[in-house]
Amino acid sequence: MGSISLKYKSKSGNLTAPGDVDPGAMIPIASTTLTTSAASISITGIPTNYEHLQVRMSLLTQRATYGTDGYYLGINGTFGTNIYSWHELRGDGGSISSGASGSSLVNSIAAPFQCGTTATNYPATIVMDILDYSNTSKYKTLRILGGVDLNGTVAGYGGALNLISGAYHSTNAVTSFELYPQLASFAAGCKVSVYGIKRAGA
Amino acid sequence: MAYTYSKIATYTVGSGGIKSVDFLNIPQTYTDLKLVLSSRSNYGNNFGNPRITINGNTSTSSFSRRSIYAENGAAGSEVGSETRIIGVIPDNATANTFGSLELYIPNYTGSTYKSYFSDSVTENNSSSIYGMWILSGLWKDSSPITSISVAPIDGNFVQYTSAHLYGIKAEL
Repeated sequence: MGSISLKYKSKSGNLTAPGDVDPGAMIPIASTTLTTSAASISITGIPTNYEHLQVRMSLLTQRATYGTDGYYLGINGTFGTNIYSWHELRGDGGSISSGASGSSLVNSIAAPFQCGTTATNYPATIVMDILDYSNTSKYKTLRILGGVDLNGTVAGYGGALNLISGAYHSTNAVTSFELYPQLASFAAGCKVSVYGIKRAGA
Repeated sequence: MAYTYSKIATYTVGSGGIKSVDFLNIPQTYTDLKLVLSSRSNYGNNFGNPRITINGNTSTSSFSRRSIYAENGAAGSEVGSETRIIGVIPDNATANTFGSLELYIPNYTGSTYKSYFSDSVTENNSSSIYGMWILSGLWKDSSPITSISVAPIDGNFVQYTSAHLYGIKAEL
């Protein structure tokens, strides 16, 4: 079967009319910053008229003693329902390892080591991409890259970075998601920002 | 007005599938390129590898790469002989499940060799059969990049695979 070629599409860089405004392909949708500790962070009302979602996060919890924590993620209010799978590739500066949720669906996507803590106040930095998030013919695959470095070691551990893949085994469009910390409440200062990414021609 | 993050082209695979997705006549007006791929192939394996062609160049000696990966329950690092690979995609994985890949090429119009970076994942409900890659690559050519093609090494992209090319422009 042969390939198909497509010519690029681009808009002119010259704006000639007041109404002719193209803000580009990456559009801010929502952003929240915690002003006090919280048991969860929710983003709701995500419009479905973009092609992809990108979520950028800076997270830390109130876990004592240790400099890292993690979080669990649910989509469309289904946290707790066995409709997810996930896998992990992790490095901590000393070794690399992998992990998986198992052969049965589980109740959330786990992201270990993607939170800093108030023990050091070094937040983790995370970028999460959900391609084709509103496509009702496909399950939703999440690609999450993040980690934290603790500037040495804290309680014997210096931090980690990991690439996490997650799947929401549903063809429903993503209209909301929820984050729950693994070991202690999210701390004030956590920030979650959501961007819609357009397709060419949109 | 300069657009920092611009849409260049999008392709969505229809019924019947397709062997490759080709981005031709890439404009030379941006600073970096970003390709995102939500894909699946019809090859009868659990996951496979997409391969890149730049400016029609398919010679393995024109590329090099190294990666860290998690595959089938094990983690590792490699320098592979199939130098044009840019990550992993699902093949005969869990139904309706597509992989997610991002490829970033900075300074694609420059007159030096072109480095690139990608991260990619497949996904299925298995603890022993899955793939995740983080890859750094090099196209050993000083020409500006004017075309990029991506194809699975084995099989074809299936329906609902989507490929998107974006231009990232530094404001000068």
